[in-house]
Amino acid sequence: MKNILIAITILFSAFVFIQCTEDEVTSTENGTLKLEFDNVVGTSNLQLNTSNFAFENALGEDFKVTWLSYYISEVRLKKEDGTYFVDPVAFDGSKGFYLIDEADAESHVIELKDVPPGNYTEVTFKIGVDASQMTQGAQTGPLDLSIGLFWSWNSGYIFFAMEGASPVSTAEGNALVYHVGGYKTLDGSPNLVNNIKEITLTFNGDNPIVNADEDPQVHIIMDLKKFFNGPAGNISFASNSMRHSPASCVDVAQNMAAAFNVDHIHQ
Amino acid sequence: MTCQKASHLTFYLTMRVILVVWLALLILSCKEQEVSNPYQFVIPDNFPESKYSFQNNPITKEGFELGRMLFYDPILSRDETVSCSSCHQQHVAFADPLHVLSIGVDERVGTRNALPIQNMAFQQFFFWDGGVNHLDFVPINAITNPVEFDESVGDIVDKLNASSFYKNQFNKAFGEKEVTSQKVLHALSQFMVLMISANSRYDKYIRNEGELLSTQEQRGLLLFKQNCANCHSTDLFTNGDFLNNGLDTDENLDEGRARITEFNGDKGKFKVPSLRNVALTDPYMHDGRFNTLKQVLQHYSNGIKTSSTVDNSLFTNNSPGLSLTEDEQNDIIAFLQTLTDESFIKDKRFSAPLMPKQ
Ligand code: HEC
Ligand code: HEC
Repeated sequence: MKNILIAITILFSAFVFIQCTEDEVTSTENGTLKLEFDNVVGTSNLQLNTSNFAFENALGEDFKVTWLSYYISEVRLKKEDGTYFVDPVAFDGSKGFYLIDEADAESHVIELKDVPPGNYTEVTFKIGVDASQMTQGAQTGPLDLSIGLFWSWNSGYIFFAMEGASPVSTAEGNALVYHVGGYKTLDGSPNLVNNIKEITLTFNGDNPIVNADEDPQVHIIMDLKKFFNGPAGNISFASNSMRHSPASCVDVAQNMAAAFNVDHIHQ
Repeated sequence: MTCQKASHLTFYLTMRVILVVWLALLILSCKEQEVSNPYQFVIPDNFPESKYSFQNNPITKEGFELGRMLFYDPILSRDETVSCSSCHQQHVAFADPLHVLSIGVDERVGTRNALPIQNMAFQQFFFWDGGVNHLDFVPINAITNPVEFDESVGDIVDKLNASSFYKNQFNKAFGEKEVTSQKVLHALSQFMVLMISANSRYDKYIRNEGELLSTQEQRGLLLFKQNCANCHSTDLFTNGDFLNNGLDTDENLDEGRARITEFNGDKGKFKVPSLRNVALTDPYMHDGRFNTLKQVLQHYSNGIKTSSTVDNSLFTNNSPGLSLTEDEQNDIIAFLQTLTDESFIKDKRFSAPLMPKQ
């Protein structure tokens, strides 16, 4: 009985295998598309640990940056025909989550693999790690807790972290600390906020073409100046140098979502 | 000749009988093992559904045993002086028998009375303020808290990776030698989800397993249902909510649940704790202010303090307190003592493991 079962299994898997390889040859030649995240402050390139306060916010307050990291997740690409390529997400965080760390140049480029051929018109992604992933328990890959982008007391990932200093900050050591996070919502808790932002950036007709021979790269700019001055208002380092709880970072989270845009495409 | 044949035949027959019996025994023993596999997660009949994500972290003997070693090993703290078991001890249902406020590395004093560890697989929110919503993320809090382990997750992973003993244990448990934070947390959770306390006298009574409660205990149970079970509900003895049970007036209200919800209306509210093994887990309340159950009952009876967030159910005819008579208080205490689970606090699976010399 067992032998028969094994034989059937082998036959069946061979059949499936043949099916698959045939499919690949005839209909799809998937390719790769890269998303490059380039962090800037207005017109200057972002540099960490400058010896002086090299940058300025929209209010003219000087600052420098010592740490900038954020999570990008659940990436989708829209094709000309309206269909989507969805970057697969793994329950344990090992796929579909990307940590962009200014200090690690390699992390600035996300490689989307196995993308069906075609003309793509827009990209959609989330900034952060949302509630559904939290229910899966301990994570690995870019979501490994030893990376430290995590609030242990109010468990959840920090979606976007910026630390630095400004001479006008009244905090100890003139520190600037902006940690954006928070995904919890509950009936009866009016101040619990979901700061997960999903944004869609269109390629404005300059559509990357994916196929087996081309691996286009989309150049996305994240402007830190807009993080401090956006749809939710102007953040002053003098009066607001620290944000590290969900409710307190509602405004910077809104600004954060508006700080990303597509600059150009390398075909 | 014939005689020899006959003996051959009996030999064959006996061999066959032995074989059949042997096989039967084998099958029986397999069955028995299935029923009483000590590493299988079984929901007690009087319990609700579990909340833990077993699909991502199935329990194995090796994973459980690894979690047990980590739980008892001070390697998890910065100066290797404190282990989980320093503050969570089995003989008191894994609460802290010694300290009102728990003590971590460098004798630093925490701000909260340690909670017992029991029935964690059935809980949605952890800690007094409910800030953690998955069991896997609970140890991170102890590890990184400056008044507990004062250690970073990365350092612990490095320390474990430097130990060939632990690398072997991780390999046995997860099929890979490399230690990661995920595996550390999964092992600790495997250990903690099996810590089920459901064998108190009360459980055996409620499940009709031949246990009887005395008349005083039964009176206590009834009074408990009338006065306490709106909050300490179900056979977990908690409704899972965050409430203010009247410990302080507005001026002295602890932040409590408001630390997480950032809502002033949640000040002074704390997780309604389970009352299982409550006779063992003194001192009581988030700050350990009461030493005895008698003091707790006096509090509910006539010590309730009015504040903007105190729960309405703790008032009788518009005045604070449940006004229980002396006898009623004693009856409730007698009932609470039936929640002590001797088999849980003596279960060898959860005791300190024998560690090889390293
Ligand atoms: C220094 C003492 C101390 C150490 C060491 C410690 N804990 Fe705790 N534990 C506490 C205190 C105090 C609380 C309650 C804290 C709170 O709610 O704010 C607690 C709460 C918990 C809870 C939550 C129970 C519930 O019902 O919500 C769990 C689970 C737990 N600890 C597991 C662990 C594990 C696992 C370790 C080792 C990695 C550990 N603890 C180390 C003191 C400690
Ligand atoms: C309004 C809801 C509510 C009612 C009713 C209530 N409790 Fe509580 N109970 C709580 C909360 C909330 C806590 C934790 C409070 C804190 O630590 O700040 C608690 C804590 C306790 C504790 C301490 C447990 C520990 O581990 O520290 C005991 C014992 C207790 N209650 C027993 C009772 C008894 C007995 C009654 C009935 C006479 C009762 N409770 C009625 C909400 C309630």
